[in-house]
Amino acid sequence: MASVMKSLTRPMTAEEREKAYSTPKKPDVMERQRLPVRYHVEDFNVEDRPRRFLEVFASVLQHHPNYRLALDHYMRVTTRCARCAVACPIYDATHDPHDIPCYRSELLLSIYRRHFTVSGALRARLLGDPGLADEKLQEMADSYYNCTACRRCHFECPMGIDHALVTHLGRYLLSEIGIVPRALVVSTREQLIGKTANTSAIPLPALIDTLEFLTEDIQDEKGVHVPFPIDQEGAEYIFFTSVSDFMMEAETLKGIAAVMKATGDSWTIGSKYYDGINYGLFYSDQVMEHVLHMMRAEAERLKVKKILIGECGHSARTAKFFYPTYCGGKNALPVISILEYTQRALKEGRIKLDPKVVTEAVTYHDPCNIARPGWIVNQPREVLKAFCSQYVEMAPNGRMNLCCGGGGGTVSIDEIRPFRTAVSGRLKAEQIRRTGATYCVAPCANCKKQLRELMEDQGVECEILGLHDLIYKAILLPPDSAEETAAAEAADGSTASPAEGSPS
Amino acid sequence: MTAWIDFARGPLFRLSLALMVLGLLRIFIITLLEVRDGYRANSDKIVSWKEIRRQTLGWLFPMFRLWRQRPIYSTVSFLFHIGLIVTPIFLASHILLWRQSVGISWAALPQVAANWLALLVIFTGAGLFLGRALYSPARKISHRQDYFWPLLLITPFVTGYIASNAVISPRTYQEMMLVHIYSGDLILLLIPFTKLAHCVLAPLSQLVTGVAWKFPPGAGDRVAETLGFADRPTWVLNPRLTTAPVEEAIRKGGVAK
Ligand code: SF4
Repeated sequence: MASVMKSLTRPMTAEEREKAYSTPKKPDVMERQRLPVRYHVEDFNVEDRPRRFLEVFASVLQHHPNYRLALDHYMRVTTRCARCAVACPIYDATHDPHDIPCYRSELLLSIYRRHFTVSGALRARLLGDPGLADEKLQEMADSYYNCTACRRCHFECPMGIDHALVTHLGRYLLSEIGIVPRALVVSTREQLIGKTANTSAIPLPALIDTLEFLTEDIQDEKGVHVPFPIDQEGAEYIFFTSVSDFMMEAETLKGIAAVMKATGDSWTIGSKYYDGINYGLFYSDQVMEHVLHMMRAEAERLKVKKILIGECGHSARTAKFFYPTYCGGKNALPVISILEYTQRALKEGRIKLDPKVVTEAVTYHDPCNIARPGWIVNQPREVLKAFCSQYVEMAPNGRMNLCCGGGGGTVSIDEIRPFRTAVSGRLKAEQIRRTGATYCVAPCANCKKQLRELMEDQGVECEILGLHDLIYKAILLPPDSAEETAAAEAADGSTASPAEGSPS
Repeated sequence: MTAWIDFARGPLFRLSLALMVLGLLRIFIITLLEVRDGYRANSDKIVSWKEIRRQTLGWLFPMFRLWRQRPIYSTVSFLFHIGLIVTPIFLASHILLWRQSVGISWAALPQVAANWLALLVIFTGAGLFLGRALYSPARKISHRQDYFWPLLLITPFVTGYIASNAVISPRTYQEMMLVHIYSGDLILLLIPFTKLAHCVLAPLSQLVTGVAWKFPPGAGDRVAETLGFADRPTWVLNPRLTTAPVEEAIRKGGVAK
């Protein structure tokens, strides 16, 4: 694997470097915020930041025994062997020591050691160390958003340190003093206290319009009535996906609806809350918890039995691994990814795919959030191999895949696109280019956006799409029964609308 | 000089060994207690034990994964660790000391094997030092003490090897033994307080990480409350514009710190 990465590497030219680190941000803003980072940050109080950062740190340690555990342990075992450097795509591109995962973690670990351990405090007194300086905060603000939190380095650390957890904590602490990318907060704000309750600010009427339009589309293309049910109480599944899919990923949604139609399982989209995105995973535990509570409220309102997550890596991960954390432990509703669902349905013979439709070369990109824990690796491959005549793997893949370069929420930060496509996605672009595939399947809204930008900026000819985009091309739907046709006509070819009086 | 050697071989060794065992036990138990706290603070008891076991065993017996990255350095490091642990425990003359003082003994390594192992430790240890000094990412993240460890760790091996193999004057022999025993004792003493503690802590890492990703419910809100931001969490407009949130909140009587 090392050799694969090595063979992909070509050093960045000075020109590329300059472009990658360029930013549309105005120097006077950086000056005012005393924050030389490339992402926009809403104005916040810059006075006395180190002290406030330490207060936040103390408070987080007080309420999160899990972080104290991790920091204590990591601080004791870290041996600084630098094996992680070879695993990190960012370091591979930049060869900047500041991008070594262990260095990144050490930023926070050293603060912890200095301010929150007895030996650190004693040492500081002996050496006359003044403690946390503002420069360190600035460095962290930059460093923790250069990392895509892909967790690849975790697998190469002999000491078992999870640098992405440290990055997560670092971002959380910074956000509590106001240092957080504007793109993430603005979306979260709309989701948690805005009128539309979703990160893309799509109002319900617009959503319903879109879904009706998609149903008509399918009717035209497949001659079958495929509804997108809204507010069906007591359905088996409630469906959440990255809400941007409703604007950007029509084909994916059509594929998912077609699969649901073919299996006949009842499913529904909630009219009060329909966003799977959870940026809390990227910068704040508090946000993550509140977003999951909204999901839970909607699931309970509609009395569904399971939560079904669309093609979105971080939505799936937050729901699968943190929904139980915040919403009832083992008694929480089960969370299923559409990728698992479709694979199972195919295995059980509940959906039929035409193997003659997709003849072009297809490759598969593993979204970090679902592949790294070993959760979803083989399922989509099984599905693809079942109907794509030319399936090619990229290497490395599966649990050791390379991040698309837009992980950890960085894909939503438009102003750092040059960095994402020149640095963090650099290896990925090369990797995809080498497969020579026509289609690259990336079942994740974030990966798709990033990979499309990457293909464009790096000049790779490969179409990025979701798994269900391809499934939609190949799925064989039985013709509507007379009743279904009647129902479709009665609904005027439209989506089942939410009940009267539901809020818009 | 003999008195010095006897002191280091007797009381000092016993003290170092005891401190090492107790010290390691202490941090091992502290870590387990912290794991328990982290686990208890969480309502979600779904921990992937299988994955934790798999990864832990994978790193305890790393021969199958080491070659993936930095193969040479990793192999050198692996061999170093083997020699480092096996040689002092199974060296015939060490076992003899145990028998004489405490009356216990176990099977010893043949002297030839012990000699080769000692050489292995010396060369791989020097390799680790060079690997750190010459490999630029490692150099960039190293602390000064990181260069010191491999050198300290091979010291008893170098002196021990010379003392038992080289043709040297009795005086030099004694000097070698002196350095050998004192450096050995020093290592034992330092283990629990330094990164060498990873000898017992590393196997807990996967467990620690698994539990550390389990966030306690409500903790985010409690943090905001402690900081005086209960009504203005991060996602509200102008999240952090107050100058002294905590003091102000305490003044208003709202927050227990
Ligand atoms: S999590 Fe990914 S991007 Fe971040 S340091 Fe590790 S390998 Fe690099």
